[in-house]
Formats: sequence, C-alpha cells, structure tokens
Amino acid sequence: MNASQGPAVDRSAQHPPQPAPDVDTAPFWEATASGHLSICRCQQCGLWLQPPLERCRRCAASTAFEPVSGDGTVSTFIIQRQPAVVGFFDKVPYAVAIVDLAEQPGLRLPGRIVDIDPDDVAIGMRVRARIDALAGGDFHLPVFVPVD
Amino acid sequence: MDLSGCAVVGIGRTAYTRRSGRTGLALAAEAVRAALDDCGLTAADVDGITCFSTGDSASPLRVAHAIGIDDIGWAVGIHAGGNAVATVIANAAAAVITGQAESVVVYRVLDASVRYGKVTAEVSVGGVEQFAAPHGYLVPPQWFAMWARRHQHVYGSTCEDLGAIAINGRNHAANNPHAIARDPISLDDYLAGRMVVEPFRVFDCAYEVDGAVALVLTTAERAADLRHPAVHPIGAADSTGAGGMPDLWDDQTAMYSRDAAPRLWARTGLSPADIDVACMYDCFTYTIMATFEDYGFCGKGEVGDYFREGRATYGGDVVVNPHGGLLSEGYLHGLNHHYEAVLQLRGQAGARQVPDAELALVTAGAGPYGGAIVYSSRRP
Repeated sequence: MNASQGPAVDRSAQHPPQPAPDVDTAPFWEATASGHLSICRCQQCGLWLQPPLERCRRCAASTAFEPVSGDGTVSTFIIQRQPAVVGFFDKVPYAVAIVDLAEQPGLRLPGRIVDIDPDDVAIGMRVRARIDALAGGDFHLPVFVPVD
Repeated sequence: MDLSGCAVVGIGRTAYTRRSGRTGLALAAEAVRAALDDCGLTAADVDGITCFSTGDSASPLRVAHAIGIDDIGWAVGIHAGGNAVATVIANAAAAVITGQAESVVVYRVLDASVRYGKVTAEVSVGGVEQFAAPHGYLVPPQWFAMWARRHQHVYGSTCEDLGAIAINGRNHAANNPHAIARDPISLDDYLAGRMVVEPFRVFDCAYEVDGAVALVLTTAERAADLRHPAVHPIGAADSTGAGGMPDLWDDQTAMYSRDAAPRLWARTGLSPADIDVACMYDCFTYTIMATFEDYGFCGKGEVGDYFREGRATYGGDVVVNPHGGLLSEGYLHGLNHHYEAVLQLRGQAGARQVPDAELALVTAGAGPYGGAIVYSSRRP
C-alpha cells in the first residue's frame, strides 16, 4: 500500500505492528508482559499448541498456558534488506527466523534474531528467547539470542 | 472427476500497468466485457459470476450490475488468494455441469489500493500473524524467502538456480506485448538485482500491477457453436495443509503440490511427460522450484539444471510460463495463467505459440495451499 498522496511520513517515527489479541491468544501476551514465554498446552494429552486454541486439536480437551524453556533452533531465516514493514523501515538489515522450540517437534515461533550480525545467522543455530518491550504500546515479545 | 462437460470459451483482460488511475470495478467490468466479446456472448447470456479476493476486490454482485445484469442466478465470491484459483474455476465448471448456471464469468482484478509486498501504515494485527508482525515479518516475500533458504540448506539449491527460473520467464515475456517487464535479463543482471529479502532479489518477486482478467465458461454443447475452439478443463486437484499457515508447514522444501500432484495425475490419468505448456504459479521464483519438483517434472534439487539446459522453454520438455508469469507478465494473482493456457491451446499465442500445444497444466498457490487444473484442446 504505497499511497504517494498526502504529506510525507516520518518513517522513523512510525511504530511497528502491534498484536491484536483475542481471548485465545491474550494469555501469551500477558505472560510476555510479566517477562515469561508461555505456550498453550492441552491439559489432557500434553500437546503444545501454537497458535493457541481453546480446545486441543488432537483430543479436544481444554488447554492452558504453561511456561516453556525458550530454548530453540533456527529452522530457517531471512535477512530483510529492503524496507517492507512499517516500524522497520530504518531497521534494515535485520534477521527473522522460524525457531523450532525445544519442547516438541513442529512447535515453532517466528522471531527476530538479535545480538548478532544478521550475516552470521545460520540454520541449526541454537537460540534462546528473551522478552523485550515492543515500541509503540504496552506489549512485550520474545526475540531470540544465539546461545553458542 | 470429470469437468470436460464444460469449456472455457471466452477470455478477456485489461492492460497491465503500474498504476491505472482506475477503480477495481472499472477494470473488472472492462475485462469481463472483453471476455464476452471474445466468445460472442453478451451480458444477457451470463447467469453466473465468481471471483476470489482477499477482501480487496469489486464484488461479483457489483461487477454483474456494472455490466448491465439485473438477474444473476449464481454469484460466488471466495475469500482467498492465489491458492484458490483452481478451486474457483473448478467450482464454476461444476456449476455449469450441474446446471446451476449455463454461462459463468470468472474474474480477478487488482488495483493500486492492493500491493501485497509492503505495509507502510501503522497496523494492529490479529490471527496467527500477531506473533510474526511485531518482528517486522508480515509480507509474502518474507514467508517464501524462509522456504527458499530451507531448500538451499537441505538440497544445495542456489540463487543461480532461482535466477535460471527468472531468466527463463523474462525471455518468454520478451515475446509478449502484454507483459509489464519485457527486457531479457542475463545471470549477471539477475545477480546484480537488489536484494529485497535474502535470499530473494528483486527478480525473484512477482511484478505487482493494476489490471483485470476474465474467463467465460459454458457447457461443452454450447461451446461448439461459439467463435473459438473450446478449451476443456479435464481435471483439478487442490490441497491445503497446516491450516494455510506458511510457518507451520512441516517441510518447506516442498509445497501443497506434494499432496495435490498425485491426486491430479490420478484423476486425469496423465503424467508430467504429457504436458506441453506449464503455467506455473510464480509469486516467487522459488514457488516454481518447489512445485515443479512436486508435480514431478524433475527430482529434488534438479530445477536449476533443468532450466539452464533449456528443458523449460521452446524445443525442450515443457514450456514453462510462455507469457512470462507473475514475475514478468504481471501479478494478476494467477488468473492470467489461465488466460495464457487458453490462448496456447487455441493456437492463438502468436510469436510465443508453443507448437502443437494440446495439454496445459495451470497451477495455483504456494506454500501450504494451492491446486491445479489441466486443460485440453480436445474433449476427452
């Protein structure tokens, strides 16, 4: 959405996208606000569910959020070189990965890889979640830091 | 499954431009009228209309009204992206075959209010994207660059392989006056293209445009009396996995086509070797790479050599995207691939005609969801 009409926008003053939680996802953001990474889990069969669901997709039992270790592995990643997303126009280059969380095969979160030169990020790299404040509101979110 | 009681009889489109200055409704009406003119039908003959969109488009009801239809018996708008093109056309064919409508218009329009590659206004994001967007990770080139990187890691495919796909399509577009990007590129040009989201350069990404495309489908019986040779959809197959969420797909070195392709070949009794023209959905070069492997044209990691050896162009095994695809003709969300397939099977593609083209594969979608249709110039 590249509207060229209207006054010039100060891109560096724009905020990044903010989450719009619903009743199923709100506990994730409540946990990050208190400094923890928690993931939705089936209270009967133990399946971790991300994105969260009210009921387990495998056994239909009730779910609740439980803390996870935050340990994970880079499954794949990108390096954003050109501005594409509001709030990040002056942040390029930056690396975003899909992180396989340690708790369960296929349990994944996307997240920025920080405290490392984006060119040094690699598939298979072990990372750990760190909860950072998100500019532009009251949300906190998990970013990932290399542990090796 | 047999869709051959139906035929595509009319095709129409607007110019494809960077910025038309026109509404989606105006563009859609022009393309639909052109498709009706093409086959010699009028708005009075149309009793069905359908499109897919992501909430951006002129609706089927408004487009029908705009071309003068006061009573439309079958009007279906589907909320989906390029993954649904085959679904929409197969549904239209089913509506014709079952008598829900006799003549159905299928269209897709994109105007300048829709550009998928960038988000420049401040947003709040719900759904599964709420976990991604706050990281500056929200647009399709980013999703599929993730997939391409994984393929490179597992199979050793390279940026040069992606470049071979981009070069092939651009060389084809040079013979297509309707294409938005017609200057041939070399591998050096490709590699010198600006890196957008690594590993994707600018030439790996679809060329977003304003424009509209429309098809007219009717019964095979009625088609026999119309102006052009009928083109028959003879089989279709779709698949959606991971709830359509790209990051959750289990193996990003393959796509939906891993599951849809066996279904398609079983339903049609055909194999890749039978196909003359392959209009492969190409929102990104990598989409062709993964789906080309999945549909069985070559093995994993072999796409780069296949394209470099000339097997994906004239004189080779199958001509891939003779119009230049979404990468070079323009991003009409994949419905332009169907326009091209019909043109080729009619033998009306001019300088880029594939000799003796009888069977065309047209794929739709990328990542965890999509599908395909096979068209034939003969009713089986």
